[in-house]
Amino acid sequence: MSEVLHLSVRPEWEQIDTARQETVLFLRRHHLHEEAIHAATMIVCELTENATKYGAFGGDEVAIRISVAVTPGAVTVEVKSPVAKGGDDHLRRLDRAVQWIRGFQSPFEAYLERLKEISAQSLESRESGLGLARVAYEGQSILDFFVNEHDVLAISAVHRFNS
Amino acid sequence: MTQETFQDEALTLTLREEEDAVTVSWSGRSTNREPSHFIVPVLSRAMDWGRTKNKLVVLDFRDMAYMNSSTITPIIRLLGRARRNPDAVRVIYRKELKWQELSFSALEVFQTSDQRIEIRGV
Repeated sequence: MSEVLHLSVRPEWEQIDTARQETVLFLRRHHLHEEAIHAATMIVCELTENATKYGAFGGDEVAIRISVAVTPGAVTVEVKSPVAKGGDDHLRRLDRAVQWIRGFQSPFEAYLERLKEISAQSLESRESGLGLARVAYEGQSILDFFVNEHDVLAISAVHRFNS
Repeated sequence: MTQETFQDEALTLTLREEEDAVTVSWSGRSTNREPSHFIVPVLSRAMDWGRTKNKLVVLDFRDMAYMNSSTITPIIRLLGRARRNPDAVRVIYRKELKWQELSFSALEVFQTSDQRIEIRGV
């Protein structure tokens, strides 16, 4: 049996903290260990940041939809946001990033490789590109995504913990 | 001892020059969209002080509650640059906090054998 938190937030940076607070309260009500709460909350924040940055808002879909599901031993986070019709650069980058992470023996190796790449960039660089690798490694989660017939991207991360 | 405090929303950076080190103490939460605008000038100043006065630069994260990935990237770039230069940097974190242990122990990839770059969980 699972319990699910559903949130709908505007694609504004300040809303990410609202999502974080709601997630913390929901997970505490389910008596999860603080480590699992921190990991799941980090996942919610990172995926919602990406949705806020790269979502193609302005059509029918004007909100980011977040769900957090608790089942025995796992928290599943799903974040939905619109993409441009027929896909866009963000979707192609996302696909490459997820496939790239899956190409490593473990998320830790992918994270280390990403650290090495970032360390070569200038201090003033505005790129990040660490979020998904962090979700996989620090969030100890498995990433997946799909785009539905309404051009809505749903990206999910399953965080498993010892209950 | 010289000390300056910088604040941006829920993140506070305290830059302190001591006898043998320049310390940047981080506290609070860092969730800005582009935190580099705030963080990089403080870090650059600490590195400049460390270099010109031949002092160790200490980045102390023990009082951090949360940081987004956009906050971690300038720290990684600083460690990369320090590794390529003769700078000495020590990162301190709370190893009993699992998120800090996961986040900061990964930075050991930048550690040098002579401990010029050191990642220390306490």
